[in-house]
Amino acid sequence: MPRIAIVKFPGTNCDEDVRHVLVNVVGLYAEIVWYKEFTVNQWDAVVLPGGFSYGDWLRAGAIAARTRAVEELVEARDMGIPILGICNGFQILVEAGLLPGALLYNDTGRFVCRWVRTYIERPRGPWLALAKDGQVLDMPVAHAEGRYYIDEESYKSLLLKSPMLRYLQGFNPNGSLYDVAGVGSEDGIVFGLMPHPERASEAHLAPRGFSPGGRVIFESLSYSLKRGW
Amino acid sequence: MSTHLVEVVITNKAGVRDPEGETIHKHLILKKGYSAISSVRTGKYLLMAVSANSSEEAIRIVKEVCEKLRIYNPVVHDIEVRLRA
Amino acid sequence: MPLSTEEVEEIRKILGREPTEEELAMFEAQWSEHCSYKSSRLLLKLLPTEGRHVVVGPGRDAPAVKLFKDFAIVFKIESHNHPSAVDPYDGAATGIGGIVRDILTLGAKPVALLDMLYMGEPWDPHANWLIRGIVKGISDYGNRIGVPTLAGDTWFDTAFNTQPLVNVACVGVAPLSILVLGSPKPGDLIIIMGNATGRDGLLGSSFASKPLAEDTDKEIGAVQVGDPLTEKLLIDSLQILVSRGLVKYVKDLGGGGLTTAISETCADHGLGAVIELEKLHTRQKLTPLELLVSESQERMLIAVEPSKLREVEEVLRSHDVTYSIIGHFTGDGVIRVFYNKAMVAEVSAKELARPRAVRRASYPPTEALKGLKPLYSLPPEPSYEEALVKLLSSPNIASKRWIYEQYDHEVGVRTVVKPGLGDAAVLRLLDGSSRGFAVKGDANPRYTSIDPFNGAANSVAECFRNLVAVGAKPIAIVDELNAGNPEKPEHFWYFEMMLKGVAWITEELRLPVVGGKVSFYNEDYRGRQVKPTTTIVGVGRVDDVSKAMTMDLKESGSLIAVIGVTYPELGGSEYLFKLFGVEEGEIPRPRPASELRNAAFILKAIRLGLLNAVHDISVGGLAVALAEMAVLGNLGVEVSIGSVYARGVQRVDELLFSETQARYVVEVKSDRVEELKKLAQKLGVRMSVVGRVLDKPIFTLSKSSKTILSVDLDLLKDAYNSLERAIEGGA
Repeated sequence: MPRIAIVKFPGTNCDEDVRHVLVNVVGLYAEIVWYKEFTVNQWDAVVLPGGFSYGDWLRAGAIAARTRAVEELVEARDMGIPILGICNGFQILVEAGLLPGALLYNDTGRFVCRWVRTYIERPRGPWLALAKDGQVLDMPVAHAEGRYYIDEESYKSLLLKSPMLRYLQGFNPNGSLYDVAGVGSEDGIVFGLMPHPERASEAHLAPRGFSPGGRVIFESLSYSLKRGW
Repeated sequence: MSTHLVEVVITNKAGVRDPEGETIHKHLILKKGYSAISSVRTGKYLLMAVSANSSEEAIRIVKEVCEKLRIYNPVVHDIEVRLRA
Repeated sequence: MPLSTEEVEEIRKILGREPTEEELAMFEAQWSEHCSYKSSRLLLKLLPTEGRHVVVGPGRDAPAVKLFKDFAIVFKIESHNHPSAVDPYDGAATGIGGIVRDILTLGAKPVALLDMLYMGEPWDPHANWLIRGIVKGISDYGNRIGVPTLAGDTWFDTAFNTQPLVNVACVGVAPLSILVLGSPKPGDLIIIMGNATGRDGLLGSSFASKPLAEDTDKEIGAVQVGDPLTEKLLIDSLQILVSRGLVKYVKDLGGGGLTTAISETCADHGLGAVIELEKLHTRQKLTPLELLVSESQERMLIAVEPSKLREVEEVLRSHDVTYSIIGHFTGDGVIRVFYNKAMVAEVSAKELARPRAVRRASYPPTEALKGLKPLYSLPPEPSYEEALVKLLSSPNIASKRWIYEQYDHEVGVRTVVKPGLGDAAVLRLLDGSSRGFAVKGDANPRYTSIDPFNGAANSVAECFRNLVAVGAKPIAIVDELNAGNPEKPEHFWYFEMMLKGVAWITEELRLPVVGGKVSFYNEDYRGRQVKPTTTIVGVGRVDDVSKAMTMDLKESGSLIAVIGVTYPELGGSEYLFKLFGVEEGEIPRPRPASELRNAAFILKAIRLGLLNAVHDISVGGLAVALAEMAVLGNLGVEVSIGSVYARGVQRVDELLFSETQARYVVEVKSDRVEELKKLAQKLGVRMSVVGRVLDKPIFTLSKSSKTILSVDLDLLKDAYNSLERAIEGGA
């Protein structure tokens, strides 16, 4: 039975939500692991959930990225263990250098919590195995520092090779450059996104006019852990 | 009239807690072994370009702006207004 | 408030000697209005607090009510008015921190936060600064601790321009079997966990017990800065301690700091304590007096059996929670406080925490007459279109999206009915079933300032209707009474009448008031009180969250019906104030019998699947309720207001904007309307089918075949979404 670790830092608050979806909705084995007790080699996949690790002090994700737990993830990159970063988890992956770019303060200067419409570009790897190119996924965002930034050179290379999640026209909640909502490593093994797929995995949590677009990410993982990617 | 660059640094008053500074100190700096640093305080930095006849006037204007527009909350904050070196 | 000479004399008698400095500080903190409730205690006995669902009533840190036979819901309300006037960001934030910790004391998991904010007008610069600070404070704190903030209430009024009312509530759930209801025993160690104690918040309770000084910039001693990261670690580690059975008693250090936490614990359980103050972990050097009364945030007390100490320490250390073992409980009922081996206080716990009561004089001011005036000469009717647009763009009615989008209202994956779409929030239990609960906070400061008795009763009724509208059965409420200076008879009268209004209607509605708070001294340095306000937070049981109702119209071709009778009751209405600047007159009568009848009807109709949408009618009246449903559903309506069941109505604006109680608007499936009519007849409910939902985005009201109002939905949408412009473009 594949084992998934949900790493929890001081201030992480979406860990139980992710576990609920992985265990009760998708039927996988998942455990919340306190960052001090996390070692990468016991797990088949790792999720860094949302929240406010270390209060988002200094910069969101900046302090968590310097913990032993995250350093191990960086060192074990070549092991090819699937890593998903959701919201604060995405911020941590970016601060740790596992994903390119930076996440800055929303252009409105305010925290924003609302449902958005996104679409997948170039699905690749374990987290997007069941998603199709161009597939529309509805999910809620809830963040203050979600404005994606990347320099032009790096963006050009991203565009050619990496899986991406983008806000549909009119749904960009924070001024992200190129409407980027999420980005993956070229092989798709590491994937990070600002929207919360765990909040969009069950039909009756989706408000009128939206559908639960987050579920495909967790179901892709389940599929990939069984069949490879 | 010339343009003067005036800096405003806003910090929490001495008796008021600074959880951000404390967290950066305890969970990042000390955890990574830099015990030479004994404390960290955080603040907000503003740089204002002011048209005025003298640097004294520029500073006066900035101080007035900070007071009247509640750029800082005098109940909890200290401010330092200085000419950019 | 410093102790009066009579109170100091009383202390001498209790101790049989001169009190020490520390003992005086302890009594001052404990006997302050905020902690002792001396001005309200006698009247509070009027409230009905029992019910067959009540598990823990008033008296403990948080009340608990049986939600289902195996689950309890724990909820509490608090005010942080005075700190928020001085430092809105930290004042509101620490209010959130405090209320969450109270829920933790029963071992419940906090799952919802509510903010009821009564603030000034957005175009007043000072009020605008307060509004932004308060919302940001709640947002930054609530979001970090991972508890969704929703179902709050707001009101914008010049009376609150410099003195906002910030009432916050927290809801927790727990299986009945794990509720922490134990008591400490002699020998149990006293551990304080959480933040180090400092000088901030010194005598904060005392600060809340006097009117705001003219120069608030000097009030720094009372300002407390919140630390949500520590709060989150407290929540997480307490959950572990409780689930492993390592801790049987938890208490929050709130108003009165260490003093009240120790004295209340000891008095409630017949214990004494030995405290060694120097052991308390601190941020700076503090005197014993300061250690006893500091109100530094994010601190909790736990009673730990010595045999469990090592395991407890392991959990705390692993979670980076600082703590100190400061003493132990004894069986002799005396609190002995030492500092470096020298005794600084020795007081009987029961004497210190003994309920104090003061009989206050109460007298209506002449101003109170304005609530008795029937409205005779109303100004000529305006353009109805202009009136509707003005009302929809009034901050008291307009969409509060600017506020609720700053709150993470989805964390926890329980929120089924989200802010903005339902009259209340609906959350699922997340226990594998479809069970859940609804919660909402409500108040109407205008009503209570005109007619405090009926106004308070109407606030209860509005909360009751909001729960019913989403399909929940109301089971209990808590109340917060915000009033002026209790030492002034003409302020105290408002408090007394509001309380009596709540006491009356809750008995009629069979709705127990399981807890509540009182906030006095909400007046400025000139002695003017803010609008006295009764805030009600109610919870209701939802058997199946998938059947929860929202207010947005769903289907063109469905019919629209109004439930309840409409009377000409424009007194105290938003319409009268916004259009004519008038704030007086007989406010709408509370109608508890109709509320019960109509609620039973609505709940049954929802259960039978007859309805597509439900909205209760409150501020703005029928026209506003209809407009909100249309705008949110993005569907037009065609309604004949002449068909509305009404009595004694002389003018069209009375039909449109009267705020008569006990009414709802429903969207009923066109093939089920006969069934609905039969149900209404059977239950003795007044129902009138008044129109239908249209495909095209036009909002039309007619009377006797004459169109009285026809506007594009876009115009109404624009008005309804104007709050952001008012606040951001405001100052």
